[in-house]
Amino acid sequence: MTAAGRSGAGSRRATLLVLPAVVPVVVVVGAALTSAVLLSLGLTPLVGRPELSLDAWRATELGTSIRLSLAIAAGATAVATVVGLCLALAVTAGARRSRLLATLSSLTIPVPHLVGAAAMGLLLADAGFLPRLLGIAPADWPALVGGRWWIAVGAEYAWKESAFIALVVAGALSSRVASYTETAALLGAGRWARFRHVTLPLAAPALAASAAVSFVYTLGSYEVAALLGRPAPEPLPVLAVRLFTSIDLAARPQAAAVAVTTSALGLVAVLVALRSLRRLAAEQ
Amino acid sequence: MTVLHRWYGRALVAACAPVVVLTGCAAPDAAAPVAEDRSWDDVLAEADGQTVDLWMYGGDVQGNAYVDDVLAPAAVELGVTLRRVPIADTGDAVNRVLSERQAGVTEGEVDLVWVNGDNFATGRQAGAWLCDWTSMLPAMAGTDPDDPLLTSDFGTPVDGCEAPWHKAQFSLVYDAARVPDPPTTLAGVLDWAEANPGRFTYPAPPDFTGSAFLRQVLYSVSGGVDEVPLEHSAEAYDELSPALYDRLAELAPALWRGGDTYPQTQQELDRLFADGQVDMTMTYGPATLDDLVADGTFPETTRVLTLEEGTLGNASFLAIPSTSGDQAGAMVVADLALSPEQQLAKARPEVWGQFTVLDLDRLDDDARAGFEALPESPVVPSYEELSAGADPELSADWVTPLDDGWRREVAAG
Amino acid sequence: MLVSRLGSRLGRGALAVWLVLPLVPLLLWAAADRWSAPALLPQAWGTTGLAEARAAGAGPAAVRSAVLGTAVALLATPLGALAGRALTSGALRAPGLVFGVLLSPLVLPPFAVALGLDVLLLRLRVPAEVGLVLLLTVAAIPYTTVVMRAAYAAHDRHHDEEARLLGASAWRVVRSVQLPLLAPAIAGAAFLAFLVGWSDYVVTLLVGGGRLVTLPLLVGAAASATGNDAQVAVLALSAVLPPVALLVVIGSIGRRARR
Repeated sequence: MTAAGRSGAGSRRATLLVLPAVVPVVVVVGAALTSAVLLSLGLTPLVGRPELSLDAWRATELGTSIRLSLAIAAGATAVATVVGLCLALAVTAGARRSRLLATLSSLTIPVPHLVGAAAMGLLLADAGFLPRLLGIAPADWPALVGGRWWIAVGAEYAWKESAFIALVVAGALSSRVASYTETAALLGAGRWARFRHVTLPLAAPALAASAAVSFVYTLGSYEVAALLGRPAPEPLPVLAVRLFTSIDLAARPQAAAVAVTTSALGLVAVLVALRSLRRLAAEQ
Repeated sequence: MTVLHRWYGRALVAACAPVVVLTGCAAPDAAAPVAEDRSWDDVLAEADGQTVDLWMYGGDVQGNAYVDDVLAPAAVELGVTLRRVPIADTGDAVNRVLSERQAGVTEGEVDLVWVNGDNFATGRQAGAWLCDWTSMLPAMAGTDPDDPLLTSDFGTPVDGCEAPWHKAQFSLVYDAARVPDPPTTLAGVLDWAEANPGRFTYPAPPDFTGSAFLRQVLYSVSGGVDEVPLEHSAEAYDELSPALYDRLAELAPALWRGGDTYPQTQQELDRLFADGQVDMTMTYGPATLDDLVADGTFPETTRVLTLEEGTLGNASFLAIPSTSGDQAGAMVVADLALSPEQQLAKARPEVWGQFTVLDLDRLDDDARAGFEALPESPVVPSYEELSAGADPELSADWVTPLDDGWRREVAAG
Repeated sequence: MLVSRLGSRLGRGALAVWLVLPLVPLLLWAAADRWSAPALLPQAWGTTGLAEARAAGAGPAAVRSAVLGTAVALLATPLGALAGRALTSGALRAPGLVFGVLLSPLVLPPFAVALGLDVLLLRLRVPAEVGLVLLLTVAAIPYTTVVMRAAYAAHDRHHDEEARLLGASAWRVVRSVQLPLLAPAIAGAAFLAFLVGWSDYVVTLLVGGGRLVTLPLLVGAAASATGNDAQVAVLALSAVLPPVALLVVIGSIGRRARR
């Protein structure tokens, strides 16, 4: 970092560059969170007089839902990160077949999660395509859809997000990894050493950032958990939507409380990821 | 750093202050707006040239085709353009109307909603529907003004806030090839389920159909429909619900997957039935069964199970949001949909197969003959047979406590 | 050597299966008229799904989705690129905070938007289309920023400096050095932003006010009932194929840039 880089003019120019993105984000996120907080505190009811109260926060049992949502997001993101890294490496390896793999991987990205959930259901349900393919009777097939371990839900997120992680990581790797590994190979570095000391550090920032994005997305996404999950316990988004669409209008502040909680959890996750990104940057 | 922090802080305040002003203290009046009384010719004249957005559940292929190919062209002849907005859940439409109402919009996007039960009750709670307009519709003369299904929607008085569209009957459905000797009462169905472990289940409330099943079982374990007060009260709930949950918890181990989980929706249950994993399914819209059998989704031996004690019945309606800007056009469409020609077209199994809300005794001979000549379906019995001894719906206040109790006592247990 | 090549081939095969398997039942359903358990393959093939999807208005809906996705991509990509450039310039104060702010739309679940913003937009009399594009652009900014930030971070600034030393103007550096080198990343960012608009469901439903019936809305409505599997499969595939075609175009941009 040069002294010139910190000069007033450079800083002003950088601020001007970033403002067009920051202003709409601050306005939209600020407004959405404010109205959700106001609603959760009973200040903007649909009917009746506004009155400050914490009832909505007390009424909902958030603990179980928070644990469940975090577990699903963590599990799915872990699988997606490993598979996504493997995909990115295979795609950037330069072999002829990697083109095919790149195309297949990009095939997954535009699938809306709603469709992905329907597809996973068709594949993994008791009488789905996979048990039929393997010749297993519905009764002997493990409860992947709607089971205790939320396997189908995690699988859908892992499937979709692995392709997203691969796209981001491959983008970061593609420009430089070939020349660096060639140099390292010329210097006599082995396969594992090249991976450990060249590829992984190059991939790490993109990997950490995309993993954080997929974790936060999984935490706040509704349709997959609703379609492939089980009735109880409920992850946060399912709980929020059920409360929001409840015929009891008094349940809406509770839905807002759940929404605020989910946003706060996501915020913490993003902050943790940013810290580790900074540490990664410092190490390099 | 500090400059930037201050800037973000200021931006945040600038963004939030209007939010407080705009959404705070914004609770609209809960009283329903009432339509002004005027002549039908007046309404027709105003409706000419209007575009009506009908928000309706879009998962029913036959229903979509009926609206697009039969109802909309007929509306064009009256000068009204009818646009169908497909939604996955009627609640989406109600939420939209509530948002518009909170924002004080008078030219809203929703002009007509296919609605009943809890969604209607939610809207009434917030004054979201236009009221006192159905008496203006000429076609209302074909309905029975004392028909309890049309005067009260899940215990919520209709009060002219929605125009009837079709009738439906909660039905249990079985595969005659797999259940050769079906039970004839609901208690018998539950016993049958226990004798055939893993071959029965029901959608988890608050799914609409699962919730109806819960109420049907409540009638059964309480000793009949007369034992359950239609109006909700905490005392009645505390007295009657334990028997319901005990029975369902007792039943659970004999259900599909040992009652460890339940289908989330009626669609999931239908899929289990179609895949042969369970032998029964259930629906509040038997009209779709003919089509499902015809396209091979359900086996040809699919039959509706009529219960001796009768099943829940309801009607569904078309409601006009108080925020709609094309209310005259919406009234014209609602009247058209209620006309004998449209009700008859819609009742044909190959079109949609929906039961009419009209009272046949009030129709002229031609119209009545048309209804009487409707072909019989091998799958779905006639409405007369299906609705024999029909049970009234509990008031909408019952629904949420029963569903929540099920979640606590049965699903989590 | 042989073992490792075999291992890599097996690994590639496993990855390909992982990516494709979930789509197989969907592909089969799209061409099936009847497919009931326990048959492994459909009992009757046909085009019912296609006909139903067309009757449901898949064509105009796809056009609407494409327009929406394009609008979001056109707005969010340059904003993300500018922000990515500023974030990696080293001149920005508190870059961590700024990056955090730009990522914050990610933590906002769609249902949180539904809870409050629709009322606000209605009250401000923002036209539905404008509000929708604004919200989706904000939802896309984190993606474009992450991609462009990573690309600028990986971008070798020595190229710029060399060009400047050789007398190129700042604009010339951007056009002749940065843009070609960053083209794959820009295309990738634009693609992700396009997808935000192309595949959004909840925001379109609530803020679009039903006037904008896009492909995901049709999928959602059709998927909520039994017996529509063929139609849902056709709709789903028509939601997947155009972006894939777009990716092929983007891939060729990337290859040309690398050459």
